[in-house]
Amino acid sequence: MAHLRVSDVVRRYGSVTALDGMSFAVEEGEFYCILGPSSAGKTTTLRAIAGLEPLESGSIEFAGRDMTRAPVQGRGMAMIFQTFALYPHMTVAKNFAYPLERDGVGRAEIEQRVGEVAELLRVTHTLNRKPDTLSGGEQQRVAIGRALVRRPKLLLLDEPLTNLDAKLRHDTRAEFKRLHRELGMTMLYATPDQLEALTMGQRVAVIRDGRVVQIETPRHLYERPLNTYVAGLVGAPAMNLLRGRVAAGNGGAMLDLGFAGIDLAHGDTGLTPGEPVVVGIRPHDIRLGADTGRGRVLEAQVHLREPLGDVTVVDLRLGDAAAKMVVREEVGVGLVEGSGIEVTIDPADLHVFHAETGTRLG
Amino acid sequence: MARIGSRPREIGKAGWGWTAFTSVVSLIYFFPVLWIILTAFKTRSDALAVPPKFFFTPTLQNFTNVFFRESITAQAAQATEFPLYFFNSIFIAGTSVFLALILGTLAAYGFSRYPLRGNDTYLFVILTTRMLPPIVVIIPIFLMFRLTGLAGSYWGIILLYTAFNIPFSVWLVKSFFDELNPEIEDAARMDGAGEKRVFFAMCLPQILAGLAATFVFGMILTWNEFIFALLLTGVETRTVPVAMARTMGGEIGVDYGLLAAIVTLFLIPIFVVTYILQNQLLRGVTFGTVKK
Repeated sequence: MAHLRVSDVVRRYGSVTALDGMSFAVEEGEFYCILGPSSAGKTTTLRAIAGLEPLESGSIEFAGRDMTRAPVQGRGMAMIFQTFALYPHMTVAKNFAYPLERDGVGRAEIEQRVGEVAELLRVTHTLNRKPDTLSGGEQQRVAIGRALVRRPKLLLLDEPLTNLDAKLRHDTRAEFKRLHRELGMTMLYATPDQLEALTMGQRVAVIRDGRVVQIETPRHLYERPLNTYVAGLVGAPAMNLLRGRVAAGNGGAMLDLGFAGIDLAHGDTGLTPGEPVVVGIRPHDIRLGADTGRGRVLEAQVHLREPLGDVTVVDLRLGDAAAKMVVREEVGVGLVEGSGIEVTIDPADLHVFHAETGTRLG
Repeated sequence: MARIGSRPREIGKAGWGWTAFTSVVSLIYFFPVLWIILTAFKTRSDALAVPPKFFFTPTLQNFTNVFFRESITAQAAQATEFPLYFFNSIFIAGTSVFLALILGTLAAYGFSRYPLRGNDTYLFVILTTRMLPPIVVIIPIFLMFRLTGLAGSYWGIILLYTAFNIPFSVWLVKSFFDELNPEIEDAARMDGAGEKRVFFAMCLPQILAGLAATFVFGMILTWNEFIFALLLTGVETRTVPVAMARTMGGEIGVDYGLLAAIVTLFLIPIFVVTYILQNQLLRGVTFGTVKK
């Protein structure tokens, strides 16, 4: 049985539906990510689980108990807020102690546990300071510490890295993984950043308009996105999505992309000839150079180069369609903007989606 | 607060020209007050001298006159009622501003945190009570007070001043609550705090500076109020502005030295309150603007 089960949760603000039948289940000890763009319902989902939002319908079960109508206090959960939400009028030590005091923990034990958590998060030197005198990274760690000090059974994290600079984000990602491994706590992590979801999550729920689109491990999410929405959200640079049409080819289906046709290697794909489709190909799967043994060779034009240091993102023109390709930096240096090149695409790397619904085909 | 601390350096950067200009403007504003304070130390002839005297031999006679009156019939000087009037002003203004602050804070929290349909209308209605000039409502209020026996009593004038201060308190304190990060309150709830604790232990401590500023502004408004006090206080509950007006006229005309001495003394309590709360006041009036 799942540790946390969110079933058909609906939450409306006036005429706006924030959660529209949100359902998913988290196992005990899992690092579970909710991925979606802003206003997809990530924060509302976490707040609903915490009991901070009343529900129109649906239910929330946690640790074998129905929590749908339970008060916020005493759900055994803790949350790290996007704004950190430290108590500004209290010192760091008081911030840590506050949840313990409310739980009626004794003075001596409070002191010991505050010391422990400060050490775990390396903020011992800040204990007597007020939050507004701390750096962003320190504030973040204090927020984590205050959430951990009660040893909650579930930790909710609402875009906790959004307010940090790039370097700190990277360090804190590693910090979260370390804490998860050391404490073995169930963590539910909401983020708009696919990189965070893929690097940290054991499973990822991709949401859209208050509803789950796909739940998968990061690997599967990347390899078999269920529709064009997930395909566009997961992976960077985003998957190239090209308009095309199914045609009959040699012994199987062929994809007509307008500027070229690609035979699909696998025999019967269930594709109907004549059907309009969207063809997806990841920038990493477009290979520079002609290699007929590996797939279909296409003529392309180098439009723009974006050197990123280790790799270069190349903006290609394939006929009148645009696509991005990623090559190693030393290769990218040799490409001249405006020149023609040859690229190879392996048909097995193609993702085919329905042109209108965006759903994966085959 | 760090930014406020760094401000003197910025003023220094503005240069002497700007500093001199602002000093002159400040002097123009402060001059009447300065003139009153000077007059308080002048003899009757110095006070009325033409052209006005800037240099004179100071005297404390006017201050003595506030508390002791020469009497034609009695041998010794008689004590005046001014100590009582000063007490009345402090007691009445202090109590009513404090009450208005408590009621206003509770109402402001409700308006800020529990939005109901029509809240904006209620807020506006509260404000409309301050739109009528006192002179328009004074007669019905006077009649009501006489009917209920409130006229002339402490509770009558305190009740009125409390009502007079509530709109201002509600609006100002609501703006302070609106500035707070509601996630802090949610964090407290998840940490086990009930609604009472969220209010007392989380919200109130964060707006203390704002409450202090609201208190001072309310004090200044109430302290100087004249027309309601004139009609609704009695012999025992008279406030200083009313008593001051009553010293004018009579057989010796207007005693400017005496008036100036009363005004000077009258300035002291409000000056002290403002001075004590000045740091809070600065944070209160700049709430939201210097927050990062």
